[in-house]
Amino acid sequence: MLRSLARFAAVSSAPPNPNTLGPFQVFDRNVKRIQRDRAALREGSRTVDYVREEVADRMMERFMDIKRTFGTVLDLGSGSGHFTKLLEPERAKKSVMIDSSEKALHRDPDSEFEVQVERICADEENLLQIVEPNSQEAIVSCLSLHWVNDLPGTLVQIREALKPDGLFLGAMFGGDTLFELRTALQLAELEREGGIAPHISPMTQTRDISNLMGRAGFSLLTVDVDEVKVAYPDMWALMDDLGAMGEGNAILGPRRALRRDTLAAASAIYPVLHGQEDGSVPATFQIIYMIGWKPAPTQPQPLERGTGKVPLGDVL
Amino acid sequence: MSSTVTATKTPLARLALHSTATCSVQATAYGKCILATYTDVTKDVCKEEFARFSVCLREAMRRKQ
Repeated sequence: MLRSLARFAAVSSAPPNPNTLGPFQVFDRNVKRIQRDRAALREGSRTVDYVREEVADRMMERFMDIKRTFGTVLDLGSGSGHFTKLLEPERAKKSVMIDSSEKALHRDPDSEFEVQVERICADEENLLQIVEPNSQEAIVSCLSLHWVNDLPGTLVQIREALKPDGLFLGAMFGGDTLFELRTALQLAELEREGGIAPHISPMTQTRDISNLMGRAGFSLLTVDVDEVKVAYPDMWALMDDLGAMGEGNAILGPRRALRRDTLAAASAIYPVLHGQEDGSVPATFQIIYMIGWKPAPTQPQPLERGTGKVPLGDVL
Repeated sequence: MSSTVTATKTPLARLALHSTATCSVQATAYGKCILATYTDVTKDVCKEEFARFSVCLREAMRRKQ
């Protein structure tokens, strides 16, 4: 009886099912790396930096609010270093840039950075294979976590890699990002082909981020959302620019290119559904900013329940 | 419109141009049809509008090589 049970167990777990072992895979990381390599090599690669530069700038505002100086900052998924470029020598001496795309990593020369930079080409999903646990003062990530398959695991690795009281500051696309393009494509596919396929990544919601950060063991969380709205002449210009940014579709699974008819239909629907009066079409990028600290005994702690001396009713 | 229609290179770029500039009237008609039913879109609900748009696109693509 036992033996037959054991055999049953062995048989049932024998064929490794990719959907049940390990974290769920959403994105094809290899395709993403190739897309970003190609994008970085394109001639017009710098002309589509506008979203990343804007977000890096807003992230720097949050970084400047933190009154602390750092020896080394780890820039996880740095791309060509949009955030690191804004670092000032007074706030951080050195930046270690990690990215899976070698071409993006080496796109810009050292002379464009004010701080010392070190580049490591490696997969952001395996952070603890690159750096030692408890070794980093600060980890930042500017617009790369939205292509990570295992977001909870990556956040845990970030927390592990930090020294106690170390800082994590991140920005990622989420929420309603590109909802205009998503709806236009879905309506076009539905009307032309009678069904829809994923062409825009599933997005992380803001409330999920707060939960994930808490679950990963960060303390003193700050999560906020911000929007960057860009106007394009038409849907084609938007899709062109997304490709040039290396932000093309990289969803795992059997993929089929969009048919020309469907694309033309979507480009007709987009301005009618979302267009502005001046004839341009908007694209929304929603960015979730997150700040978390690795717990340390020196940090301010919440008081015990029931130790409050002032009734809340008196204050309000 | 003809002034905006210049010889562009890739077929996709030409499709982009024709779908937004050359055939803008038919494109808008199709878009409006979708907008009217967008909470309940089913296959071929705007078949006629798309057919007119498609004919215009095909002719434009053929004309400008």
